[in-house]
Amino acid sequence: MSYIKIDKLWKRYGDTVVLEDLNKTVERGEFITIVGASGCGKTTFLKMLLGTESPTGGAILLDGIPLVAEPSEERGIVFQRYSVFPHMTALENVMLSLEFEQSPLLARLFGGARKKARQTAKDMLEAVGLEQALHKYPHELSGGMQQRLAIAQSLIKQPRILLLDEPFGALDPGIRKDMHELVLKLWRELNLTVFMITHDIQEGFYLGTRLWVFDKERIDPHAPEAYGAKITYDLPVGQTDDALLQRIDQSLNQTEQKKETLHHGQ
Amino acid sequence: MIAKTATFLVSPTHCCGKLKTMGFLLATFFCVFALPASAQERDKFSICWSIYVGWMPWGYGANEGIVKKWADKYDIEIDVVQINDYVESINQYTAGQYDGCSMTNMDALTIPAAGGVDSTALIVGDFSNGNDGVVLKGESDLKAIKGQDVNLVELSVSHYLLARALESVDMTERDVNVVNTSDADLVSAYTSDDVTSVVTWNPLLSEIVSMPESKLVFDSSQIPGEIIDLMVVKTDVLKANPDFGKALVGAWYEIMSTMSGDSASAKAARRAMGEASGTDLAGYESQLASTRMFYTPAAAVEFTQSDDLKTTMQYVAEFSFQHGLLGEGAPDATFIGVETPSGVYGNTGNIKLRFDPTYMEMAADGEL
Amino acid sequence: MKRLINQEPNRVARWLLGLLPFLLLLALYVGASNARLAENPNDKLLPSFDSFGSAIERLAFEPSRRTGEYLFWQDTLSSLQRLGIGVALSASFALAFGVLTGAIPYVRANLSPLMTAVSLVPPMAILPILFIVFGLGELAKVMLIIIGIAPFLCRDLQQRVMEIPDEQLIKAQTLGASSWQIIQRVILPQILPRLITSVRLSLGSAWLFLIAAEAIASTDGLGYRIFLVRRYLSMDVILPYVVWITILAFFIDLLLRLLSRRCFPWFHAQTGNN
Repeated sequence: MSYIKIDKLWKRYGDTVVLEDLNKTVERGEFITIVGASGCGKTTFLKMLLGTESPTGGAILLDGIPLVAEPSEERGIVFQRYSVFPHMTALENVMLSLEFEQSPLLARLFGGARKKARQTAKDMLEAVGLEQALHKYPHELSGGMQQRLAIAQSLIKQPRILLLDEPFGALDPGIRKDMHELVLKLWRELNLTVFMITHDIQEGFYLGTRLWVFDKERIDPHAPEAYGAKITYDLPVGQTDDALLQRIDQSLNQTEQKKETLHHGQ
Repeated sequence: MIAKTATFLVSPTHCCGKLKTMGFLLATFFCVFALPASAQERDKFSICWSIYVGWMPWGYGANEGIVKKWADKYDIEIDVVQINDYVESINQYTAGQYDGCSMTNMDALTIPAAGGVDSTALIVGDFSNGNDGVVLKGESDLKAIKGQDVNLVELSVSHYLLARALESVDMTERDVNVVNTSDADLVSAYTSDDVTSVVTWNPLLSEIVSMPESKLVFDSSQIPGEIIDLMVVKTDVLKANPDFGKALVGAWYEIMSTMSGDSASAKAARRAMGEASGTDLAGYESQLASTRMFYTPAAAVEFTQSDDLKTTMQYVAEFSFQHGLLGEGAPDATFIGVETPSGVYGNTGNIKLRFDPTYMEMAADGEL
Repeated sequence: MKRLINQEPNRVARWLLGLLPFLLLLALYVGASNARLAENPNDKLLPSFDSFGSAIERLAFEPSRRTGEYLFWQDTLSSLQRLGIGVALSASFALAFGVLTGAIPYVRANLSPLMTAVSLVPPMAILPILFIVFGLGELAKVMLIIIGIAPFLCRDLQQRVMEIPDEQLIKAQTLGASSWQIIQRVILPQILPRLITSVRLSLGSAWLFLIAAEAIASTDGLGYRIFLVRRYLSMDVILPYVVWITILAFFIDLLLRLLSRRCFPWFHAQTGNN
């Protein structure tokens, strides 16, 4: 049985079809990067993985069991922004999930338990290179450091799936490069299963073991909402050449353009 | 004063611009804020009044054109302005916005007179004969008030009445705890269990007495003639403009004769006054029943000339002094002189309140 | 020459410019007061500064002839106590209300419309009901303040709770938090500095309701004294009391601002507000 099975997955809002009939399987340890034109359901798909949206039809199965329809510890998430808690220091941010787990009533640890949690959190922060910033508040950290913190916070509970929603979209290119190295390092060391949305196809190829392209195959000019997006490419990384890359780029651009014209025509 | 401000307004041609603006601002400020009514001879006057049984005739007289008729007779103009807040009307008068104002004898002493505004009681309209009273919840003996919280408008005639009531049973204010309560909220406050005794005036009094358990244990008919309702005017304005006094007094007694008696027109007048004060004919007549109106000038003159008035003013002055109402500069109750026909109470060198029956006598003699 | 909107006064100029209107008002007052006093030395409307001084001395530094208390301090103490209790209770209630309605949709659906309706009722118009329910003592005064400002605080805090980014709530859930834990560790600590901001905004109304309550029925308090001597046009007492209330209000506001900056530095850095 596969680790994750996406089974006849549909998502509609009223008459608008967002995603139609997705069928995929993902094995443990895969790093899936997702690209696609805006409005092609990447984020909706991620939200269904996360549990903040539920499928209209079909299901996403983890080890054969459908995912619960609210966010849970099985799935870690890093957003582009607002991923860390502004009122806590870096260390407190990372300790938080341990405190949730061990202290249901007060959500705070004391004495020995606290010491232990602190050590665990410290190790995690060291792993993401934040050992110098344990007692700093997020507003005292740079954008890259904040995302490191967000990753550390998500990973401390060892989620079964890690979801990354354009996590580096707001970062400078140099810092993005460091972050790539960090993510790859953590992925290898912790044997993570990762889904990551990106708008940068190069980044997608560089990081992923598989690249999914979300796109609309058919667009009806009279009823643009009638057809949803599908996964039009599912590429094992390594099998790529420049020509393919260009073809994908072109196809995505066409979708964007069609949508533009439709939009203007309305 | 007027002349000074006026120069300020027209002379700054040789000043620089900034000063000009400032001069203008200052002048505006002075005009709005700082100009007490002048004592010079003039032909435009204004008086103010507030809603109370004994003062409703002013509103009626203004509406029916009686005041205007008398003003025309003396070739002057009199503005009659109703002010909804009694204390505010006296304050406005004291600050100089009006030439005359309706008020009680005690407030005349403690607000304008104590504030250095020499005032004359031009018309003695009535005295409270049961219009003010002390009410207890569930007790019919005034002595039971000992130790209670007493809700009343502090430093008002109610407070004075309480002091006189306590005196009658050999108590003093130390035997009770006075809680200042706004008159607008007194009736609803009385419905709360916290409130066990109140002192107030009509129409609030009759409202409170009509509630179950309420007992009227003392009222102003037991101190007749001590709470007097007046039309007070500025002494210097009156001196410079006797016609102003004549017109007001003439108008007042015409209103009095219109509203007194059982004729249909008198009833209509009383009905109009009742409605203007928020009640009806019956309600207004019941308030009149506890008010001793002086419908004729002769009666008012007689009351003013009696020796009792001087004694009353002595009580009032002593009460006011004990409560610090004569001003901090007052060394004793006689600090402010009160002139009455039977003699001056207090300091003859500092007379600020005068009971002058001259104009009422003219009315009595038919000389207006 | 730069555009007007680009010209900034320097430190000294800023102080002077700020001070100027005060000095101007003061000068106007002194001028008008002198003019009136020349006309009538006993004038009460615009007393001289000497009268202010002696009124303050009499009320603040000499025991009262009637009760032996130092009236000014007694009034201040009573008023601050009422204000403090009223504002503290309002703030606590609003905190609980705002967090629960902001965080839990079922509670919000249940209570939010009621609070919206309640907040639209002018408290002064239902005074008689308040008297019957709460009597005429200290409780009634504190309740008037609460009824006056709590609805605003409640609605404001509910709004602030709902403004916490969804990402944070989702993140907390992926970290295994229960609703209760999210309220405790994510919502509550982030809402506290916002509570202080809201309280600062509501203090003006709180003073208003305090003074109204003291004017209605009282035996001491700043509002009581002002309304009592208003009967006698004793501006020599009223004006210093008004200035004193202004000073107290200013320092309470300053205190809250400093408290907030000290306790919640992350909040002020984050929003860039003072």
